[in-house]
Amino acid sequence: MTGPADTAEAGATSAPVSGRDEPEPALRTSSLRKTYGGTVAVADVDLWVPRGAVVGMLGPNGSGKTTTIRMLLGLTEPSSGSVELLGHRMPDQSGRALPSVGALVEGPGFHPFMSGRRNLLRCAAMEPALYGSDIATAVRQALERVGLVEAAERKYRSYSLGMKQRLGLAAALLVPRDLVVLDEPTNGLDPAGTREIRRIIAELHANGTTVVVSSHLLSEVEATCTHAAVLQAGSLIAQGELATLLESGGPNLLLRVSDNDSGLEALRQSGIPARVELGELRVELSETDAPEVVAALVHAGIGVHEARRDRAGLEEIFARLTEGES
Amino acid sequence: MRRRNIALTASAGVAAGALGLTSMTLPAGAQSPQLPQVSADELVASVMESDPPALAGRITVHNELGLPALPGAGEAGELLSGGDKSMRVWYDGQQRQRISMSNGSGETTVVDDGNTVWKWDSAERTVVKYSHGESSQGESGTKRPDAGTPAAPSEIAQPSEIAQRLVGKLRDTSTVQVDGTASVAGRDAYELVLTPKPNERTKLREVRIAVGAESRIPLRVEVNTNGSSDPALRAGFSELSTGEQDAELFQFTPPEDAKVRTPEKPEERSSAPSRQGSSDSGDDNRPRTEGTGWDTVVLSRLPENAMRSSAGDDEQSAPGAAEAGGTGVRAMAERMGSPVSGSWGHGWVINTSVGSAVLTSDGRVAAGAVPQQVLIEALRDS
Amino acid sequence: MTGTASRVELPSGVRQRASAPFGRVVGSELSWILHRPRNLLALLGLAVIPVLIGTVLAITGGPSGGTGLFSAVAGNGLVLPVLALMLTQNLLLPLITAMVAADGLAGEAANGTLRGLLLAPVGRVRLVVVKALGVLLMVVLAVGVVALSGVLTGLLIVGSDGLVTLSGTTLPLGEALGRVALATGWCAVQMAAVGAVALAISATTEHSLLVLIATVGGLIVFGVLEAIPALEWLKPIFITADWYSISDVLSDPIRWNDLVDGLWRAGCYMLVGFSAAVARMATKDT
Repeated sequence: MTGPADTAEAGATSAPVSGRDEPEPALRTSSLRKTYGGTVAVADVDLWVPRGAVVGMLGPNGSGKTTTIRMLLGLTEPSSGSVELLGHRMPDQSGRALPSVGALVEGPGFHPFMSGRRNLLRCAAMEPALYGSDIATAVRQALERVGLVEAAERKYRSYSLGMKQRLGLAAALLVPRDLVVLDEPTNGLDPAGTREIRRIIAELHANGTTVVVSSHLLSEVEATCTHAAVLQAGSLIAQGELATLLESGGPNLLLRVSDNDSGLEALRQSGIPARVELGELRVELSETDAPEVVAALVHAGIGVHEARRDRAGLEEIFARLTEGES
Repeated sequence: MRRRNIALTASAGVAAGALGLTSMTLPAGAQSPQLPQVSADELVASVMESDPPALAGRITVHNELGLPALPGAGEAGELLSGGDKSMRVWYDGQQRQRISMSNGSGETTVVDDGNTVWKWDSAERTVVKYSHGESSQGESGTKRPDAGTPAAPSEIAQPSEIAQRLVGKLRDTSTVQVDGTASVAGRDAYELVLTPKPNERTKLREVRIAVGAESRIPLRVEVNTNGSSDPALRAGFSELSTGEQDAELFQFTPPEDAKVRTPEKPEERSSAPSRQGSSDSGDDNRPRTEGTGWDTVVLSRLPENAMRSSAGDDEQSAPGAAEAGGTGVRAMAERMGSPVSGSWGHGWVINTSVGSAVLTSDGRVAAGAVPQQVLIEALRDS
Repeated sequence: MTGTASRVELPSGVRQRASAPFGRVVGSELSWILHRPRNLLALLGLAVIPVLIGTVLAITGGPSGGTGLFSAVAGNGLVLPVLALMLTQNLLLPLITAMVAADGLAGEAANGTLRGLLLAPVGRVRLVVVKALGVLLMVVLAVGVVALSGVLTGLLIVGSDGLVTLSGTTLPLGEALGRVALATGWCAVQMAAVGAVALAISATTEHSLLVLIATVGGLIVFGVLEAIPALEWLKPIFITADWYSISDVLSDPIRWNDLVDGLWRAGCYMLVGFSAAVARMATKDT
């Protein structure tokens, strides 16, 4: 983890960017909710994805990512709330929105008894945006794009996990899309495959396509995304530009002092909450600032050897957000 | 929500389909038509006068007689063995007719082309051919032999005959009246009802004959018994269209490879042991009747060999007899009847909803549409 | 960067097609069904059955005086296709019909391909229509294969140049083939009804096997219930109620009564099955 980073804790309830007066987003949900019986799978999610963004949807398994994505695409009907996909209400206007949306949800789905090419041909036949004469070319290009040209005539059942995943990606990219939704695209891929996916996402981004990627791996989101949305137990607890997310919220100050215990005592007397962590003092800078902290310590006659801002990757936010407040 | 609306509309489709299916289980709701008043006498007279027109139709026989399955009784057995049976009939208005009855995936067709009666059996792939003279001379000629068809096709094809006979015979002992109307095979009909007079000791409650209001031919006969609201027997048209019929229907050319038999009369007679006994049976074997009207009892005597073992000479009952241990009719009666005894001897009685029959151990038979007691009295008196 | 060039630039804001041309989607579906090795094997198996029956009957000369159509086949080849239809109609044809219906929705759901279709997007109602057409194609093929194989076997192996009807009349070849065609069409309608119900079951589950079991099991239950005299009044709603009436086409004149009842009943089942499939798919979470 490199780069300066302040710990950010976005308010779990606020939708930081939705109030902004911006051009129509690629994707917007309001109070999106899905319950199965008495279980709440997704609770009042207000997602807002600007056009051209690459949004990483982060969350541990079971946090409602896939359910949210399925509702975005009209596969599942929300219990309440609404979804607007490329300006069209889902699921009622699926026919208008979905032709410009490519998606890979819950793993690739193909027929084992057909070759990769035939599977793609079948997908292509169903694509409204493809004209009959373009189908063969589109399929060839999609295969080239994911590097499956040589395996195209093999039966799908003989594909490795990675090849299956790439064929799924090819199906999502048969047509130039305005929005591409990829649910855990690197699942089962080796490092080379993962790099390949990242390359494709970067390519899509460069072409101005909006991309929504879900993952339970931070590194992936950090590596590919411009935006992030973090889900925990069905609730959206943070979303926004990756950079803003990393900087916003209360940063920490880490202090190496001559005596931790007396330092802690001195800060407490000054009304500054602090704790000892790994032999250092950690102070949250939400209600105070660094000079004040240092001054309080020096005033109490405690030697300050080192004071530095905490450098945390999104990983820490993620870990802290999803493991409960610490 | 659009999807909800689709689901709702589609559910309506499910309901409509289910309704359609349910409607198939319901009998066609026929209302009683309004018809001008007619007296029983007028109605009976017009039936007597009317001649059945050229027609094509389907006759359905609904039967709850409660008869035990008669082994070897052939089509008649099938027709009488309960449930609904139907046959198709065509009639040219004069003397030619065609009757077709299906049994499983086979068919029996009888064609009377005016000169010859052809009887085709698809399972056997045989044609039996009677010249017309023979078959009409002894009516039993077409009924009894071979297929053992007591309910001769000709009788069912022309319910008017049944009705005319019934009316004529029963007027002395019955109340005859017109009671309401009915709709039979889509035609308006008067219901002519014959009710036994109170002193008649019979199991039957009434016989209902639906007479076509226009054609004045009987369209349906219902036999109702005491203690049951459903008819024990109902035979009538379920489909009927009148008008000239295709002449080809009344012609028959045996298929190339079919066996064609022209039965010799004596041969036929010998296989019909119960009736018109030939030299070996005495006077006793000839059926006679006791009483009149509804409580008529038919008394008869089985030939000796039928009591011992009919397997050898009665082709028709052979399978049943063999099964029962080779003792023929008697074994059958023992199996299906319940034993009774009295001063007249002892025997077995078979009770059905419309009548009873008694077979005594010495081979006497009594049967009628009466309770068992009446039969026993008749046996005692004989 | 190998294939990023967009040939089909779609300026945003321009209305584009909301669905692929219907014919293309149906064509793709049919080709999918016909590329499935299992389906082809099933058709092949069906083609063999009339040949087997015909050969056995030709060698043994057929049962003498047996019941049913078997005895009518001897030397009367054009009864064979009807007999073959009647025999396969009870189990094999429904099984194959249910198999295709099971593949159509349950199988696609299990493979994850149903999502792909819905995301393309193929509208949900349209999807059921396409699937129903697919099942119908297979039904027509299956029934057609049995009938065709039956006719060929009947003419070549059993041998005949006409048809002796169950009523004992003899029909010329042309009219006889017409009767066979009638039986074939009637049987196809019955199987289409089975297919519609199977499709409805298929829409409710991801387990293809369940569809097979429910469909064939249901037919067997109907068969059992039919044999119970106390349920006689219920018989008209059983899809199987008139299946034996297929031999009525061999009567002369044709005994339309039960055949027409059977068509009406099959129509009701089709309506119920198709509507139920649509209702289920419209609200289904996939």
